[in-house]
Amino acid sequence: MNVEIADLTRRFGRTQAVAGVTLDTGVGVFGLLGPNGAGKTSLLRMMGTVIGPTSGTLRLLGRDPRAHRSRTEIRRRLGYLPQALGYYPGFTVAEFVEYFALLKEMPTSSVPRAVATAIERVGLGDRARSKLRTLSGGMLRRAGIAQAIVNEPELLLLDEPTAGLDPEQRVEFRTLLRELGQRSTVIVSTHLVEDVGAACSEVGLMNAGRIVFHGTPDELVARGEGHGVGDAPLERGYSAVLAAARS
Amino acid sequence: MSDPAKMEESSPWLPGVSAPADVDLDRVWLGVAAEVWHRPIGRLERLVGRILRSPGLARALLTTPSLLVPWIIASVVVFAVGAAVTASTGQPLVALLAPAVAAVGIAYAYGPGVDPAWELSQSMAVSDRMVLLVRALAVFVVDGAFGLVASSVSGLAVGITFDWLVPMAAVSALALAAATVARSANVGVAAGLAGWVITLLSSRAAAGQFTGALTKSVLILPYLAFAVCCVVVAVFASRVPRGSA
Repeated sequence: MNVEIADLTRRFGRTQAVAGVTLDTGVGVFGLLGPNGAGKTSLLRMMGTVIGPTSGTLRLLGRDPRAHRSRTEIRRRLGYLPQALGYYPGFTVAEFVEYFALLKEMPTSSVPRAVATAIERVGLGDRARSKLRTLSGGMLRRAGIAQAIVNEPELLLLDEPTAGLDPEQRVEFRTLLRELGQRSTVIVSTHLVEDVGAACSEVGLMNAGRIVFHGTPDELVARGEGHGVGDAPLERGYSAVLAAARS
Repeated sequence: MSDPAKMEESSPWLPGVSAPADVDLDRVWLGVAAEVWHRPIGRLERLVGRILRSPGLARALLTTPSLLVPWIIASVVVFAVGAAVTASTGQPLVALLAPAVAAVGIAYAYGPGVDPAWELSQSMAVSDRMVLLVRALAVFVVDGAFGLVASSVSGLAVGITFDWLVPMAAVSALALAAATVARSANVGVAAGLAGWVITLLSSRAAAGQFTGALTKSVLILPYLAFAVCCVVVAVFASRVPRGSA
């Protein structure tokens, strides 16, 4: 298992963002669904070693991120796309991706080729030498995905990766996700149910800081049969599970 | 001559030019792109990378927003004006300016509010704290060098050239602590400047001259103790909170 979580909590002042999550997941694409404020981003940030948990255990890639040396090793093998991707407007796409490749301590000699590969994989080859300030929101999102995958991460965490992508780009991105999920653990936080149906082998549904459903997309669909609201089967499953959790 | 049966259709990039079937054009293109898109590493970056034993730290030190050329230019101008005034009036203006200039640079070495990719940086193997430490050290070294050059303009100032190092450490640490706690470089700058102005005014009120804040050896220990306290605050404020498990 690349991600082993037990009773994980995270509190911000009086707000309980994550309220006891237990989750084990290995290679494949794991979709993390949930309404706004459910705790998805906080959970991803803990898995990204950006913030620490308030309590509970967290092991990533077989290591405990609380220890400095383990945390560094995890970070070398981690890809992370935050929900709000900050960027340096004066950097080109290639400079941006290369900068983070170096901060991930990739071997210097392998960086240029890895950067070119990552940029091509997200379809930004024709804009590789464009300044980030000149890119559209969707292109910036793809530049963010490129920096996340540049080190061929074993654990890839993507927070709302399809925000700002047009329908064609979202289809291409799902293909990329499926490719990445063959070798790595990919955890995708999203509120777009159709992304989960198309690309994920496992789904977790969060509500009020807890995982209220964990299973396959088909199992989520089955939960919505006969009840739930929504246009698509997955949406009905999503709304049925949420309604049950809130009742 | 190549067997036509083994030739692919015309290359999409070079119409009319055919490529052998066993050539992976994607792979060739990636090799070309890697060369073309790669940012050339300058001598300074190479040197810094060797000293720090980390190409990532070197890149973070030399290319990200904190240590910008405008800051270095502003520092040169401030020290040059300070040196000119020192030479013409005999007043050690360089020594009075140096701590404030360093404090500004160090406050802007901190990420939140200045570094737009701060959250992303926090998930990197090269830790954000190490980047911060290296940037702060670089500000100190650069300002120290500028200060020495500026002080050398006037023989009158040479005697206290080194006196500002300890106050500079204290004021810079205050700026860093304020920036980390408030998560704002501007707050750090304001705190550093305010702290130094208050120190100078207090010195003038107590001893009748601004330079008392620099030249009184009795102040060295309080300055150092204050600097240590501020560094502890900065380290605490920038820590990754740990779980209890």
